[in-house]
Amino acid sequence: MGTIKLQNINKSFGKTEVLNNLNLEIEDGEFLTLVGPSGCGKSTLLRIIAGLEQQTSGDVFIDDRNVNKTRASERDLAMVFQSYALYPHLTVRRNLETPLRLRDYSSLERFPILGNLLPNKKNKTKKIKELVQKTSETLKITELLDRKPGQLSGGQRQRAALGRAMVREPVAFLMDEPLSNLDAALRVHMRSELSELHANLKTTFIYVTHDQAEALTMSTRMAVMIDGKLLQLDTPQQVYDNPSSLAVAQFVGSPKINTIKGSANSEGIVKFLNLELQRKSSVKDSNILIGIRPEHLEISKEDSNDSIEGVVSYRENLGSDMFFHIQIAGDNEKLIARGTPQLTSSINIGSKVFVKRLRGEALLFDHNGSRIKFTSDN
Amino acid sequence: MKNNQYIGEGWKHAILIIGALIVLLPFYMVVSISLKSQQEIQSISGGLIGAQEVQTFPVCTKMGMSDETCTMKPYVYNYWFAFKKAPIARYLLNGLFVTVSIFLIQVLIALPCAYALSKLRFYGREFIFSMVLFCLLIPVHAIALPLYVMLAKIGLVDTYAALIIPWTISVFGIFLMRQFFMTVPDELIDAARMDGMGEYSIVWKVMLPTAIPALLAFAIFSVVAHWNDYFWPRIVITGNRDLFTPPLGIREFRGGVDSDEFGPMMASIVTITVPLVVAFIIAQKRFIEGITMTGMK
Amino acid sequence: MHYSKAHIWFVGPAVLLMFIILIFPILLAGGISFTNYNLGNPSFDWIGLENYEKMFSRKTYIKMIWATATYVLIVVPFSVVIGLCAAMLLNSLRFGADIYKTIFFLPVMATLLAMAIAWEFTLHPTMGIVNSFLANGCGGIREFLFGFHWLPWVNSNESWYHIACENNNDFPFWLKDRGYAIWTVCFIGVWQAFGFNMVLYLAGLTSIPRELYHAAEMDGAKSTWEQFKLVTWPMLGPTTLFVITITTIRSFQVFDTIEVLTKGGPSKSTYVMMYAIFEKGIQQNLTAIAAAITVVFIMFVILLTFFQRYVIEKRVHY
Repeated sequence: MGTIKLQNINKSFGKTEVLNNLNLEIEDGEFLTLVGPSGCGKSTLLRIIAGLEQQTSGDVFIDDRNVNKTRASERDLAMVFQSYALYPHLTVRRNLETPLRLRDYSSLERFPILGNLLPNKKNKTKKIKELVQKTSETLKITELLDRKPGQLSGGQRQRAALGRAMVREPVAFLMDEPLSNLDAALRVHMRSELSELHANLKTTFIYVTHDQAEALTMSTRMAVMIDGKLLQLDTPQQVYDNPSSLAVAQFVGSPKINTIKGSANSEGIVKFLNLELQRKSSVKDSNILIGIRPEHLEISKEDSNDSIEGVVSYRENLGSDMFFHIQIAGDNEKLIARGTPQLTSSINIGSKVFVKRLRGEALLFDHNGSRIKFTSDN
Repeated sequence: MKNNQYIGEGWKHAILIIGALIVLLPFYMVVSISLKSQQEIQSISGGLIGAQEVQTFPVCTKMGMSDETCTMKPYVYNYWFAFKKAPIARYLLNGLFVTVSIFLIQVLIALPCAYALSKLRFYGREFIFSMVLFCLLIPVHAIALPLYVMLAKIGLVDTYAALIIPWTISVFGIFLMRQFFMTVPDELIDAARMDGMGEYSIVWKVMLPTAIPALLAFAIFSVVAHWNDYFWPRIVITGNRDLFTPPLGIREFRGGVDSDEFGPMMASIVTITVPLVVAFIIAQKRFIEGITMTGMK
Repeated sequence: MHYSKAHIWFVGPAVLLMFIILIFPILLAGGISFTNYNLGNPSFDWIGLENYEKMFSRKTYIKMIWATATYVLIVVPFSVVIGLCAAMLLNSLRFGADIYKTIFFLPVMATLLAMAIAWEFTLHPTMGIVNSFLANGCGGIREFLFGFHWLPWVNSNESWYHIACENNNDFPFWLKDRGYAIWTVCFIGVWQAFGFNMVLYLAGLTSIPRELYHAAEMDGAKSTWEQFKLVTWPMLGPTTLFVITITTIRSFQVFDTIEVLTKGGPSKSTYVMMYAIFEKGIQQNLTAIAAAITVVFIMFVILLTFFQRYVIEKRVHY
């Protein structure tokens, strides 16, 4: 079982409050990502789960057991650090063996030479060596076992750190931005490897990252944290399609979601720029923000009703996609819209374009950033 | 868990305080004895500063001064008599003169050499650097005897020159400065050359300013080591009391250990040791940083 | 890189001085050691290895080697270990670390000669605070503690403390007693040296990445001892090597304490090599034999440093 429950977690460092009344339930076997901008408290939360930090108030439960007073080494969790934290003076093999030796050998058996005389030690050693061999095969680092961390590349070190976590077969894996120190191509490759590993091991993974792309691609659920608060806990698709607040919507998805100022009248009819939405807002008589993702906007060189006129100020060419930054005519606002490669050859900086939106994809937010539902939503 | 932490802290402080008491014991003794009268010293009474009864001191009257002059409180007597018996101020000045001269000459010799070894290319550079590395293994005190013989042969024993000359070459200084200079970007020096600076100016106008932190550390290291040096001055100053460095001054006072003037002796020790200790306490962060930095390099 | 002739002037003085002041004297000492030269005599004879034979056969010189070895083998381990423990204690304190650091570093700064005399007084048989402290404690808790009465096998009527109390407070003459002198001198040496090692270790400790300790905790290293074995000690490898090298060389060169407190005695129990060179070469003007001792001394130091720097160094850096 690998369920973890956090109740009313508060954490302050002196006067600075880092975590604010956080509640989170992590299910067994899921890949949960704690994602958010730098400084939002996600690493702190991870360390609180690990037991390396004490929360100021609140409870941590592992498998329904309150572990507030249990120290990190006894919580049966394994952690992969951002800097890998491999023991530089030990070979990779010894690095992997360390958690097992500390756990399985009694202190007498660990005594340098005389410990080897104790009867059980031979069996235990055999088991440990087998486990290490098996793990290194899974991670494909068997040729590296006799090297020291200083002789390994970044990706190899990362695998060794993973191996050290895996040998213990812990209740859950905690990962603190493990991919941030790798170069871009390796990062993308490791994402899929980690997902595969998770599928094979079926153990709970708690993963911290500031990269929303990683969160979207790898997690079964993601927890979006901003400024020490948990804003949304949902599957990646839900977080993307149905963000609970403007902050979440702006954080997830690249390029950032377009936000346009508009208003809703007394009947809930939403107007912005020169357009009107078909669905009605549930909040009436106020200013609202309308959010539309770039891929939900169509660009064309011809005018039509319902389209917004503008001038292209910038083009982002990503190879497979082209994003246009469009300055709206007669307004200060800018839109980013995705265009198909075929279309893009004729549209350049300075071209006049007309942007049309796909229906049914707009999101509404009030001036505080909370999500407003449409009256047709449940 | 919090309570345990406080108890743990308590034990640590207990051990450290006992250690601190042992470490400070001789300092306490020196200060205390320098304030007390002879009888109190020999009978170990009077606590830290003694009863301070005014009395007439026999050794003083023996030296021919009137009873009146020789009657005062012990702590005044000790320090007054110490200064009267030996030219302590002279010793301190000697110490200052010698350590400063040594340091300045060391810098004069080491800095250009370090610059050349790190930034100039010339035939024999590697060989000379190996020479430096080899000389690092030779402690100067170890070759005191042959140096003394050499100085005696050219008649320089009992001079300031003898005190200073053997220390003018500081291979440690060369090594330290070279390591430091290696981190200075070549472009800085090239820019200076483009501006028309000769190599000589570059050393003193460009390299010196960038090396101030390392130089400071080296200065502390050098001054402390040579102020406290007893071995070499002991060998090389054989008769001329005017050349005594502070440690020699202390030693001289102790000459008659079975004489009955412990108070003034301790007073002289306090006076001679105080400058360095006070400097240290004021600037202790710098001192410790300096020693550590020179150590790590 | 720049080709220039200026280097001659820059490097010249240094090279000249290195040769004259550092390298030539070694050769000179070597040369003299094979003669019976005395400073001041116009002539001398070559006597080959006679001086060296004397060194390794006469009792005085055997004691010299013994005294030097004892001093080094006591002072180095103790001052390194105490320095390390002090550094670790200070590193884990919440407040007050700076005060202790200053106090413990004071002996390193103060003139050793002055402090040696201070210790002489502290340890003085009749005027010293240590012996009076012990004497006042006869029959009380001090006798219990320092006489080791708390150890099960010690008979409280036969312990050294009790016997001393009985015999008119006959506590040891710390510096004048042949059995105690060398240990006392070692004690002063450790007292003076550990602060320096402590400071170096403090610097080393702060450079250990904290995440290693976290990793160790997650791996199950619970006690301070386990974390020390797994993280602290290995990561302090380079520092330890440096500390041992420096302390060893300094211990070999001990002189001040001996010259002012014991003069090599009693009965040559503290007759260390530097003092022997001084006594024989400077005071007794037996230049040749002093030169021989110098040569042996230099060889010891160079070999030791060489060994520590180049042989062990590789193993200690990761």
